[in-house]
Amino acid sequence: MKSYVMGIDFGSTTAKTVILDLKGKVVVSCVAHMGAVSGEGVKASTEGALKQAGLTQADIGRTVSTGYGRRMLDIADKNFTEITCHARGAVTMVPEARLVIDIGGQDSKVISVDANGLVAQFAMNDRCAAGTGKFLEVLARAMEIRLEDMGDVALAAKEKLKISSMCATFAETEVISLLAEGQTKPDVLGAVHAAIASRTIGLVGRVGKKGPVVMTGGVAKNPAAVHYIQEALGMPLILPGDPQTAGALGAALIALDDYRSEHKAELAAMEEDGIEAQMAEDKACVPGCRGNPTAAPKKGLLGALGF
Amino acid sequence: MNKQEILGILGAASRDPLGYARAWKEKTGRPVIGSFPMNFPGELAHAAGTLPMILQESDDAITLGHGLLFPFYCGYTRSMVDQAARQEFRVLDAIMFGDHCVQLLGAADAIRMQLTDTRVIFFQLISSMNDPWTLGRARESFETLKTELEEFLGKPIDAAALHASIKLYNRNRQLIRALYDMRKAGTVRLSATEMQYIVKSSMIMDKAEHTALLEDLMAWVKAHPEPKGTGVRLHLSGHFCQAPKPEVLEMIESCGTVIVGDDLYHGFRYISTDVAESGDPIDRLAEWYLARNTGVPCPTRVQNNVDWDAFLLKAMREEQADGMIVLMAKFCEPHMYYYPEVKEAFERANMPHLLIETEHEAMPIEALKTRVETFVEIIKRREAA
Repeated sequence: MKSYVMGIDFGSTTAKTVILDLKGKVVVSCVAHMGAVSGEGVKASTEGALKQAGLTQADIGRTVSTGYGRRMLDIADKNFTEITCHARGAVTMVPEARLVIDIGGQDSKVISVDANGLVAQFAMNDRCAAGTGKFLEVLARAMEIRLEDMGDVALAAKEKLKISSMCATFAETEVISLLAEGQTKPDVLGAVHAAIASRTIGLVGRVGKKGPVVMTGGVAKNPAAVHYIQEALGMPLILPGDPQTAGALGAALIALDDYRSEHKAELAAMEEDGIEAQMAEDKACVPGCRGNPTAAPKKGLLGALGF
Repeated sequence: MNKQEILGILGAASRDPLGYARAWKEKTGRPVIGSFPMNFPGELAHAAGTLPMILQESDDAITLGHGLLFPFYCGYTRSMVDQAARQEFRVLDAIMFGDHCVQLLGAADAIRMQLTDTRVIFFQLISSMNDPWTLGRARESFETLKTELEEFLGKPIDAAALHASIKLYNRNRQLIRALYDMRKAGTVRLSATEMQYIVKSSMIMDKAEHTALLEDLMAWVKAHPEPKGTGVRLHLSGHFCQAPKPEVLEMIESCGTVIVGDDLYHGFRYISTDVAESGDPIDRLAEWYLARNTGVPCPTRVQNNVDWDAFLLKAMREEQADGMIVLMAKFCEPHMYYYPEVKEAFERANMPHLLIETEHEAMPIEALKTRVETFVEIIKRREAA
């Protein structure tokens, strides 16, 4: 029996990896920026995590993947959607949370959860990238400002401007017009973040407003996004320490449940305090999982990369 | 012929309905009469020796139709107008328009302007289904329709021929319903797309030819029992005038689901109810029209003692379905207005359901797949918890 499990969130712009021991303690988490979904990016994240923990893939008993690239990972035994994983991870990070707002690179979602981290309802953007990290990225480029500086500059806004377009491309045109009119960068950026907040509240409305609310995903690191969403929501947002890794943590927890339930007898014998009841629901994986981590490195995307 | 060969023929007609009509017309020399969904009694036109076919949404992008109908019309009506503008409907000798929603009325006018040489027959059916005068008004509509058809074709529709057509249509519906029962019981494996091809081709093909193929299919599936499909059992609901895109149906099934029932128009709704075979055929057709709304309630009709949401919950219990996916065509007003009641009833019954809004234009299948996979995960994890 192995001593660790791994969750990988293969997102659209970053790859996140979380490794847990069999008691559910986070051994290590690693975020790698990819720019776009790429084998190199996810390899950097998983290898980085393994290296930090002083482990190899052979030490990992179960791997669950999530995110856009979840089906591309041969090393994953199972894959689950980012909605299921973010819900599980967010409620573990913030147990009192009943609503999860997750804004990632290319999608935004609002998830209503129960006390066990099970999804009750969800809504996500499925038509365009407005209100996501990509929206910010496009506008950062248009305004010649670094993505990581956008939030702080936007918080200095004095005038309330409005960007009405929900399409990133049209919003870019509006931004350019506002700048041409002589509006200040902070004011325009304030409007950009207010637009994201408006889009997010639309998703909240679809699943039903309730709290406490936790915010996860890369955009949770942007103080202006948090500020404007809180303002529009009329409720405080709880920010976990590492909001980007909520999905990978959820995936790792599902892997842990799955692995522990399979090795229940061995674990009970090993642990004086026994083992918690298995969570059979974590067997509930959708098709397309590739399984067989021992053979997997020889084929597929990561195999081709020598992983 | 084996199952796949038969489904291949039905699928070909489903994918190219106007091509089928052209070939049929060339072979028989007889008229083709197109109609709008959902209540046109094909039996009447069939008894007159024509090929009645329900006009289908095309997969093609809207082109010339953009100038004729606003973009907030549903995909079906926009596609109808676009096909008319591109003169695709030249094969039709007549078109029967119905009035079961405002958008169809708008589309009828736009099509009429495009097909100036094509005979247009417009018939109205009472939408209030349980008033004292409903049956009489429905009968009047069918009688008027019969008269107009007779006038257009220049010959009377013989009562014996109409009885024979009713009998043939009933047999066709019965065979499809039997396939539905077998699929529900798990004794035949028919994907959602295959089932759609079976029903959709019934709306298009010569009914005798189609029924013969169904008889062959039934014989084959009875002789070749297939292992029961596994996965989350789902009911598909919604989509009235147009068939859901096969890629959407295939995506849903690729997420580990088995479709065990539906109330789609290109599904069980179309074949739910038979016409009684004795007595005055027009009386029987009028009764059929009323009975259909009890068989599978329709949000375009008003009947205060029939609830679509109650029907859905009952159907799902019978199908032992784990959840329901609602396929709502964008801008379909009757469905949009009724959906809140379905949602509320399903939430009250703690029955999982997922709404997917579909469009005529290309859809973001990967994003939809994430939503369906999450829905499947919710159902599985709820069952296991």
